[in-house]
Amino acid sequence: MSTLLREHAEQLYAQELEEISRQETGRRPASWKLTPQGVVTYLTGGKLKNGFEVSPKYIGNKRLMEIAVATLTTDRALLLYGLPGTAKSWVSEHLAAAISGDSTMIIQGTAGTSEEAVRYGWNYARLLAEGPTPAALVETPVMRAMKDGKIVRIEELTRIGADVQDTLITILSEKTLPVPELNQEIQAVRGFNVIATANNRDKGVNELSSALKRRFNTVILPVPDTMEEEISIVKRRVESFEKVMELPAEPPALQEIRRIVTIFRELRSGTTLDGKSKIKVPSGTLSTAEAISVVNNGLAMAAYFGDGQLKAADLAAGIIGAIIKDPVQDKVVWQEYLETVIKPRDEWKDIYRACRDLS
Amino acid sequence: MSTHILGIRHHGPGSARHVKAFLEELQPDIVLVEGPPEADALLARVGDKELQPPVAILCYQQDDLQHSVFYPFAVFSPEWQAILYAKQHNKKVRFFDLPIANQLAVEKEDRMKKHQPDETDTTRQASEEEPVAAAAGVREDPISYLSRAAGYEESEKWWEQMFEHRIQGEQVFEAVQEAMQSLRDELPSREDRLERLREAHMRKMIRQAEKDLFGTVAIVCGAWHVPALLNRSQQKEDNELLRGLPKTKIECTWIPWTYNRLSYHSGYGAGIVSPGWYEHVWTHPADDGTRWMSLVARLFRKGGMDTSVAHVIEAVRLAESLAAMRQLSKAGLEELNEATLSVLCNGESIQLAVIREELIIGNKLGEVPDSIPKPPLQVDMEKEQKRLRLPPTADFKDCTLDLRNDNDLERSIFLHRLQLLEISWGVPSTVSGKGTFKEQWRLQYDPQIAIDIIEKGAWGNTVEKAASAYVVHQATRAPSLPDITRLLEQTLPAELHAAVEVLVQQLNNLAAASGDVIQLMEAVPSLVTVSRYGNVRKTDAALVNGILEGMITRICVSLPNAATGVDEAASQRFLELFAALNEAVSTLQHAGMLSQWKQVLELVSTNPGSSPVLAGYALRIMADQKWIHGDELVKNFALRMSRLNDTRLSAAWLEGFLKGSGTMLLLDEDLWTVVNGWVAGLDDRIFMEVLPLLRRTFSKFTKPERKKIGEKIKGGKAPAGVAGMQQGNSFDEDQAKRGIPVVLQLLGLSKSGNNE
Repeated sequence: MSTLLREHAEQLYAQELEEISRQETGRRPASWKLTPQGVVTYLTGGKLKNGFEVSPKYIGNKRLMEIAVATLTTDRALLLYGLPGTAKSWVSEHLAAAISGDSTMIIQGTAGTSEEAVRYGWNYARLLAEGPTPAALVETPVMRAMKDGKIVRIEELTRIGADVQDTLITILSEKTLPVPELNQEIQAVRGFNVIATANNRDKGVNELSSALKRRFNTVILPVPDTMEEEISIVKRRVESFEKVMELPAEPPALQEIRRIVTIFRELRSGTTLDGKSKIKVPSGTLSTAEAISVVNNGLAMAAYFGDGQLKAADLAAGIIGAIIKDPVQDKVVWQEYLETVIKPRDEWKDIYRACRDLS
Repeated sequence: MSTHILGIRHHGPGSARHVKAFLEELQPDIVLVEGPPEADALLARVGDKELQPPVAILCYQQDDLQHSVFYPFAVFSPEWQAILYAKQHNKKVRFFDLPIANQLAVEKEDRMKKHQPDETDTTRQASEEEPVAAAAGVREDPISYLSRAAGYEESEKWWEQMFEHRIQGEQVFEAVQEAMQSLRDELPSREDRLERLREAHMRKMIRQAEKDLFGTVAIVCGAWHVPALLNRSQQKEDNELLRGLPKTKIECTWIPWTYNRLSYHSGYGAGIVSPGWYEHVWTHPADDGTRWMSLVARLFRKGGMDTSVAHVIEAVRLAESLAAMRQLSKAGLEELNEATLSVLCNGESIQLAVIREELIIGNKLGEVPDSIPKPPLQVDMEKEQKRLRLPPTADFKDCTLDLRNDNDLERSIFLHRLQLLEISWGVPSTVSGKGTFKEQWRLQYDPQIAIDIIEKGAWGNTVEKAASAYVVHQATRAPSLPDITRLLEQTLPAELHAAVEVLVQQLNNLAAASGDVIQLMEAVPSLVTVSRYGNVRKTDAALVNGILEGMITRICVSLPNAATGVDEAASQRFLELFAALNEAVSTLQHAGMLSQWKQVLELVSTNPGSSPVLAGYALRIMADQKWIHGDELVKNFALRMSRLNDTRLSAAWLEGFLKGSGTMLLLDEDLWTVVNGWVAGLDDRIFMEVLPLLRRTFSKFTKPERKKIGEKIKGGKAPAGVAGMQQGNSFDEDQAKRGIPVVLQLLGLSKSGNNE
């Protein structure tokens, strides 16, 4: 077993990529490792012709993945947009791994991301000694991806300052990166494209200029549609976490996961699952990712401080922590929910008591 | 001589195109179309300039309006194209389905047999039943078997790709026939009497047409029926089957239809998803999406969204590559929508709603010549008027209804329903006399009403149905709690149980989502009225009770927070609501609710942040309810009024505590002791300091009240009740005289009230 804390998608799923590529026959776009259909299969899972089972990476609407892949076959870039915790980076990593076989061309967008990080930088020692020469140039992932015809990923595009964002316009529309110092340009090889992610809940972000926006096709990744979908996501991710962290606790009963997912879904959507009554919505996003971490957290609590079995009490603190982000508003919301929705549910007495004790 | 059967999907633009092409090539002598023979006479109007689709043939029974049948036609309906062809080429055209008169009667018989009279609205769009969705609902759509076999998830999609999008129409009808034949062979046969009757009748009509020596016969019918019509040898059995069928009297008319009602969105189970798109496909069969995308872009620009030509190009390209990835020959509506979403809307599906409304469904309204017969709603209204002996008159007529009387109650219900429909025939006026069982109405007929009736006819065929549907419609649109409460108050006397349920549900939703306690509190008093007096009218008070409890619980949760940090002006209004709520809670006398209320009062009265007026009032309610008394009460009172507090706050607190209780102070010995004891216990210097506060509160009491309070302090004991007030020695005769006219007026002895 690898000693790495986390492996790249193309390493972790090397076998699946290999099998898909061997089984498929269709035409591949230039520089692509798989056909577009193959990429969709890799993302959404399925059975190959020889019976090989591909695990689903994205659980949800297959059509969204089709739009994403179809976008990358054209010369438009892809912008994955959505709430925090809706698997944007996860999808972008797997898309890059499946299409280019390499998910490491990545720029993390921050308020401090500079133009040199996006286009190219200079090795100053060499620049001073030799003047501007190709050897003194420091390539960025964007430049390398253009040269190799690969996918480059830009995480949190909207956190990058507007002036730096706009350096992408030439790259996206003319597919070229001029280096005026050397009187050269890098022209992108076929297969080059950009996947950017951005989240639509944050405040203080830099909206994309409409010129840049026009170069992107946007796919909004939604929170999971159905209860079963969400439960399946939480279960899968929690299981893989147990493996990595080698937790001694027993795997969580499906029932506990179901309850957490129910609470999160109800509060997120503002209606009870039976659709009969409305409830107030707290200020947090309550994404699936948070549900996963609540379960993980509960497992760790149960393993190290409890009796090894996941109980309501182990989860209560995590649930409250995830829901009450604003100490005044959210507390009222939560209390109302606790009293009007959780309390009347007969099988939920334990969770009601556990939460009640904590609040 | 030949007979050709054209299996189609109702409202399929591809089918319509194939039918048109096929007929033009075949040049039949007669066209038989699936539809009610009663409406044959109406076919003469097709082709008129004034008859513009979408229109529908409405078949109704005069005596049973609830079971009416609509046959809608759009320009892209194959049936419409077939009829149009016949009209334009001077060929015979006939409807050849089982007469509606028989269909309705047979359905009625079946209902009787089942011994469960079907109360639900069975109004249906007859020509929608098959094959898209089976009429009985439970049964699975037979085409889904075929589409699943072809690897499609949705049967619609498969049919669309196979038959509707096909440009080349060669042998398409043979293919449909074979597909249906194999389906009908494989699937267990439907035990549907009506379907067997219909097909028998269709066969009979075909035989008739052949007997009438028409050389070439073309038949347009739902694909599902094709195999059954091919073999027409069982003439004897068919005649046997059709003998002695029950019948009812049927009227037919053209009515204007809308694309919206043609679609699923109008609430009809069986409709098509996208009439607007179908019309586009019909008018521009060769469009690769470019024209559609330009329409979308145009629409977006009209809405003020920047949409460039480059956007359109990119969207068409994305739609095409999506279609290629899905191995479709052409981008369909879904691909185009997804491309629009991704390129034009930046992923936000909200903007797609605009396209859905304007383009995909389309807001087209059909036209019908002026010479249309009466709409069913009007027929129903006239029938009710006759039954309740409330004839419409041109002059106004007042009538007083005694709700204890059954006939009057029904009249009242009927009038309330019309009111809800905004058909302004009867207007309620204030009742003279006592009791909640009386109502007074002024009835006056106005030509405007006829238009209102036609307008409201869209909501249902009977006054009851229409009113109910209209209320539901308003309920789903009403934005705020007070609106819904008002609507509920109006709807309860109209006895529309279904609508009341929706309202209550909506009320519940809004109450839950509303963060505004004040709004909730405003809604409570009128609900309490409903809950208390609802039973006089035998209405659904129990429903309201449930909701009321929920709302009060919600108020109780947020009230303590809401009572903090309220400024003085706002807290006055709040105080009134608080009082109304208290009254509501004590009226309901629900044990659980009372204990919740007690907790809230405790919180409000003890929380130092609470608005002082409210805190004072809360303590007062607790004292009234005897939840707090004796020393505890005195302690609390003194604490609040202690000298160290900010005077303004103390003043406000005292005002709340003694709100509207001048007389109470006189009569309630406990309250008296607390206030009197506190004032008496103050030493002079402090008394001087708090005097302004006392004055502020006491100045709100009426003059006689203040006087009595003074006397009580002087005398040291309480005067004996209200009578005590009259014993005062300073009886002012002049002032008393001025009151006499008012008293007379109150007693109904005098008319004018102004005697200054």
